[in-house]
Amino acid sequence: MSKIIASAAIRGAYKLVEKAEKKYREAAGRFGPKKEVGFPNTAYYLPIIYGITGIPVKTVADMETVLKECRSLLPPFVKEDHPLPYLAPALDAGMAALFAEEIIEAVRYLEQPDFYTKGEDPAEGKIWLGAADDVIMRKRGVEFVDGTAPGFAAIAGAAPDPKTAAKIAQELQEKNLYVFMCAEHNGKRFSEQLAEAGVQVGWPTRLVPFGPEISAAVFAIGFATRAAMSFGGVKPGEYRKILIYNKDRIFAFVLALGYVSEEWYATAAGAINWGFPTIADTPIPQVLPTGICTYEHVVSNVPLDQIVAKAIEVRGLKVTQAEVPIPVAYGPAFEGERVRKEDLYAEARGGVTTVCEWVTSGAMDEIEDGKIEVIGPDLDAIPAGSQFSMAVVAEVAGRKMQEDFEPILERQIHHLTNYAQGIMHIGQRDIAWLRVGKAAKEKGFMLKHIGSILHAKFHQDFGRIFDKVQVKIYTDEKKVKEIIGQAREVYKKRDARIEGMTDETTEVYYSCTLCQSFAPSHVCMVSPERTGLCGAYNWMDCKASNEINPTGPNQPVEKGETLDAKFGQWKGVNEFVQKASRGKIDHYNFYSVVNDPMTTCGCCECICVILPMCNGVMTVNREFDGMTPCGMKFTTLAGTIGGGLQTAGFVGHSKYNICQRKFITGDGGIKRIVWMPKMLKEEIRERLIKRGEEAGMPDLIDRIADETIGTTEEAILPFLQEKKHPALEMDALI
Amino acid sequence: MDIPKIKYSGRIKEISVAGGAVTVGGETSYPFHLFEGEMPHRPMIAMEVFDSPQDEWPQACLEPFTDVMRSPSAWAKKCVEKFGAEMICLQLAGADPNGLNRAAGELIPAVKEVAASVNVPVIVWGCENDDKDAEVLPKVAESIQDKKIIIGPATDKNYKKVGAACIAYGHTVVASTPIDINLAKQLNILLGDLGVPDSQIIIDLNIGGCTIGYGLEYTYSVMERQKQAALSQQDEKLQFPVLCNFARDVWKKREITLDDEKLGDKKKRGILFEAMTGCMLAIAGADILVMRHPEAVRLLKNMINNLTK
Amino acid sequence: MALTGIEIFKKLPKTNCGKCGVPTCLAFAMQLAAGKAELSACPFVSDAVKTELSEASAPPIRQVVIGTGDSAVKTGGETVLFRHEKTFVNPAALAVLISDEMNDAQVEERIKKFSELRYERVGLTLKPDLIAVKDTKGDPGAFAALVSRITGRTNAALILMSLKPEVISAGVKACAGQKPLIYAATGDNAEAMAGIAKENSCPLAVRGRDLDETAGLTQKLEAAGIRDMVIDPGSRSARQALEDEVAARRAPLLNKFRPLGFPTITFPCEMTQDPMEEALIASILIAKYAGIIVLSDLAGESLFPLLVTRLNIFTDPQRPMATREGIYEIGKPGDNSPVLVTTNFSLTYFIVSGEIETSRVPSWLLVQDAEGLSVLTAWAADKFVAETIAALVKKTGIADKIKHKKLVIPGAVARISGELEEELPGWEIIIGPREAAHIPAFLRQWKT
Repeated sequence: MSKIIASAAIRGAYKLVEKAEKKYREAAGRFGPKKEVGFPNTAYYLPIIYGITGIPVKTVADMETVLKECRSLLPPFVKEDHPLPYLAPALDAGMAALFAEEIIEAVRYLEQPDFYTKGEDPAEGKIWLGAADDVIMRKRGVEFVDGTAPGFAAIAGAAPDPKTAAKIAQELQEKNLYVFMCAEHNGKRFSEQLAEAGVQVGWPTRLVPFGPEISAAVFAIGFATRAAMSFGGVKPGEYRKILIYNKDRIFAFVLALGYVSEEWYATAAGAINWGFPTIADTPIPQVLPTGICTYEHVVSNVPLDQIVAKAIEVRGLKVTQAEVPIPVAYGPAFEGERVRKEDLYAEARGGVTTVCEWVTSGAMDEIEDGKIEVIGPDLDAIPAGSQFSMAVVAEVAGRKMQEDFEPILERQIHHLTNYAQGIMHIGQRDIAWLRVGKAAKEKGFMLKHIGSILHAKFHQDFGRIFDKVQVKIYTDEKKVKEIIGQAREVYKKRDARIEGMTDETTEVYYSCTLCQSFAPSHVCMVSPERTGLCGAYNWMDCKASNEINPTGPNQPVEKGETLDAKFGQWKGVNEFVQKASRGKIDHYNFYSVVNDPMTTCGCCECICVILPMCNGVMTVNREFDGMTPCGMKFTTLAGTIGGGLQTAGFVGHSKYNICQRKFITGDGGIKRIVWMPKMLKEEIRERLIKRGEEAGMPDLIDRIADETIGTTEEAILPFLQEKKHPALEMDALI
Repeated sequence: MDIPKIKYSGRIKEISVAGGAVTVGGETSYPFHLFEGEMPHRPMIAMEVFDSPQDEWPQACLEPFTDVMRSPSAWAKKCVEKFGAEMICLQLAGADPNGLNRAAGELIPAVKEVAASVNVPVIVWGCENDDKDAEVLPKVAESIQDKKIIIGPATDKNYKKVGAACIAYGHTVVASTPIDINLAKQLNILLGDLGVPDSQIIIDLNIGGCTIGYGLEYTYSVMERQKQAALSQQDEKLQFPVLCNFARDVWKKREITLDDEKLGDKKKRGILFEAMTGCMLAIAGADILVMRHPEAVRLLKNMINNLTK
Repeated sequence: MALTGIEIFKKLPKTNCGKCGVPTCLAFAMQLAAGKAELSACPFVSDAVKTELSEASAPPIRQVVIGTGDSAVKTGGETVLFRHEKTFVNPAALAVLISDEMNDAQVEERIKKFSELRYERVGLTLKPDLIAVKDTKGDPGAFAALVSRITGRTNAALILMSLKPEVISAGVKACAGQKPLIYAATGDNAEAMAGIAKENSCPLAVRGRDLDETAGLTQKLEAAGIRDMVIDPGSRSARQALEDEVAARRAPLLNKFRPLGFPTITFPCEMTQDPMEEALIASILIAKYAGIIVLSDLAGESLFPLLVTRLNIFTDPQRPMATREGIYEIGKPGDNSPVLVTTNFSLTYFIVSGEIETSRVPSWLLVQDAEGLSVLTAWAADKFVAETIAALVKKTGIADKIKHKKLVIPGAVARISGELEEELPGWEIIIGPREAAHIPAFLRQWKT
């Protein structure tokens, strides 16, 4: 922590404690030690003191104990040669400052009972509201819990002028934040500036004028402290829980506008204990390293027109937009509609013109959330009936964003665009195809609206994995060509990366329990080299799904100690499966059909079955409805092994999995396959040939029988012998 | 011969409702398996009251209530005093945007009236439109501060609003999920994360309205699985009592109103449809059953007595 | 622990001869493991293997057949405690009582109700299964006459109820060859009853004062060569019956206690005088393990709820109930009435048709065979898509019944509308509500 800040905060804390001591002595003299003190209509006494120390300050005399506590919290002054770090003493000083300020305010309630208005709105000529009573706290606090209001901005000081104040307040209101105001700068106060600008203040507008001095900041922090006790079930005195509750749940921050006095420093240091960072418009020293707060502690010298955006970023607050701001209707109902030739206004068609869609991530400070640019002509400058080139580039940034999430966001462009009425979208990457209908054009749809859609929907659906997105839509042919070149490089790199991931080098796999509704004991486990058996989820999808929905069906599983490398069995996986199957299954192998194979829910794309006579296995895909050499059709097989059973000799898997390197390696791998339907063979032909090459048998595909050879073991065996199928030479399968 | 006993390692949480006046849950064995465990609190029967008259009901259901249908409080009183309701469930069907679309302000008087007119626990049930319930139920919670009530349904779409209000005013929340124990568990975790104490949660596993003849097997099995997970697999996040709000679904069914000699007496048929659905749900593990017809209530109550006495 | 398919397969002859009815030994082994086939179907398996496998493959609860031919009733053969683990095998059989105390008219009425109270539902006929003929007078002649009277009117499978061997004997003769269930062998008459059962190859019900005595009796009778038994542990209260049923299911399943490894027979008719209460007790016994449930009488208002409850409890938890594909007329639709389409998952069909009915707007409902999946699941599995719906529209010839060409699809599959318009040229595809509950509001605004 900055030495300047630490020493200022400590000095400020001393001043405040001294002031409180003085106030206490005065009160004791004037009212006597037995005089009752407290904020109006609350069961939480002086809430910060009560919450943090557990001491209920009921009388003037009770304040003495607290003041002693303050003294013991106050660290020595920072000396020139004091070593780092300064954080801990500054935080303690801040805490002492807040206790002191609460006492100062409590004495004010004694001395000037009518100083604050009691209620939700300012009274005639009396703008300051003071502490919220329990009725207000409960009613407003609910909004913090249910997410209606994500948090509050505690504003100390004043803006340069009423207009700027009104603008900042409006920006904060738009983000649904409460604004708690106190203190003055240059004789001006933010609350008064708002009133002057004609802005209505009070609890109903969420613009709360707490008090004229910095000590009124305790009404804000006291509110947060009470929320933890009232809504978090935290007991008074459990200070750690109170502070963590606030850090994790109340998205609050301090906006310091104007000269930062030592008292301000002390109060801000106190707020850091709650995880509330300070954002200042003056060039005070910064405290960037994270520790207590989610991200930075003090960020300074922020221009006023950026201060709200910065504060939100620093506090890690996510704000979503409920509506997609485009001139045509938007929703899943329009996903399937077609734009026919006769209704077509213009189209960008990958393969015919140059088109690509690309999601890429950038640094937080390079990306401006919500910025949408069209580089080249937009629809109004594109002639009717024409085909144009287009590159849609969504640049995202976020503290949780990972490169691996780019393709997941990118895949969403297809259906998100399709949701717009009169817009048709097909494909992705460099084969994307966008059609804009005449009706949509007439209603004012422009290409920039694709940006609006992506911005709004990415935030709505994937807000947990990124913070900011800006969209650039290129229609300038030359630029599009440039972009597509870059994008293709990335596509290639991505594919190689997924291909390159191995089970050995990956420590965390993902579970999928989506199907337990009908297959109660089934637990799918997805590793890089064993994609989900339904074909819908690969490892990366599961990872992203978990980030988006941390309590959902895809949970990270530390694979743990390897119990069997050949068959693919891990201790951590087994433990998870046992628990998630509720004791029904205690272990399984990833790479075997014969020995304790993975369970099957019934959604599998293919089922692999042993063919004992051929010493090999067959696999059949769901679409193939004919008889197979094992004597069972796909539906019979699915009925026999589905439902979360472990059935030796049978295993469900995805089509993609067949050509993954680990496919039944425990039983001999891909070279065990002696039969599969022709349609499946054709579907995976390219990859199967490549995989055959890797396995040292480029013509493996031609040695695998299909239904045109036969649908019984007897019928295909001569073919296998003639083709010298490798399975015939392998160790006995069972 | 000794009956092979199941080794139970968990129990259903005992949830005190109505400010501690009544407790539900607490089972240490499968439902009514009293030879190997306890059921400290018999399943309780709540009777339905609506915020608005239900004139389109089948005749059999109208008969007992024609005199009180226009006054929710009189209706509630009659259920308790005449028909022996152990709880009252005020169904805010009138809130439904596809129906009367009544605003919270129009509904609150009924809520207050009902809460004040009976001394049994009160359940207030929304219209099952996630958005509307998110709007109405918190206001319901706020409007009843001198009494503790049970409020539902909280779904994965609106649990924050409904849950937060229940925390603030100390009411019990009913977490509703569509026939899937993993979803049930997930919602319980989410409510926990929100800050709802375990002692204020009851669950409902039957979104979708299954009754006998209409998908009962789904509800029946998911409830049996919930009991298994809770009692013998130490799945703490499923150890909650279960509420079943099913009468509405029963009386909507085609066979209830059909005139068909082969289906026998119409009134008795409807009553048995309701009582038998309730009976199956009780056997599967319901702790609170929301019912409509007084005769069905009498039959099921008697059955529960016979199984527990 | 039952053997797995592979373990059984290893012991089979591996000839793939197909004589057992399935094409391969592996497929046969899988059926054996699932309890869906009998080892005796394999002509080549050795005796040694037979003995080894029959021990392992016999279901822990014996399956017993009562009656012959089409009206035969199978009971028992259960393998699990909870229906979500695996389908319960044989639905609880419902029996109605006819006693020798009834006059001719009463007997006639019972038989008539037994034959007529049947209901079509999801392609199945729901009906009562057995007639229990009860002797109260101890008069063999009268009993035989009653049995004859019944067999003359119906081919229903029978339960002959008397504790007097000579009465049973007369009854059995009166329905020679029809394999009635003899009820009951007790501690007092077991030997004589066993003799009759053996001589006539009839299944035998065994009644003890409690589970212990019942188990003792079955052991004794098994030693005497009786295999097909049904047990009545004597409980006559709902609570005791539930306890006994659970015990009789768990003992063979969890403890391999064979003496209780038989289906049960229960008597709600002797547990209460109130028919409504009797129906509730019967419903509990359907859920909790009764093999046979004897009712005092049949009435539509209680029989129908019991039959649908039974249908629910005994469905395959992995395979949804489905209804038939085709056009369903709801109300009296005309050529301007709306046409809606949905899948054949029975629950989906019931709910959608119910809501259409509620709307009171006469409509055509097209139901497409999607292997019993619900709309979204079927769509995801490619079984309820533009192609299949278009095929259904053409196959059913719905276009001939209407003047408009508008088809309402479920809101959940709105995305297929474009494709469907291409598959069905000239049709307008209208996106219906996502939730069935909103169908009435939707239909009330229908205009052609």
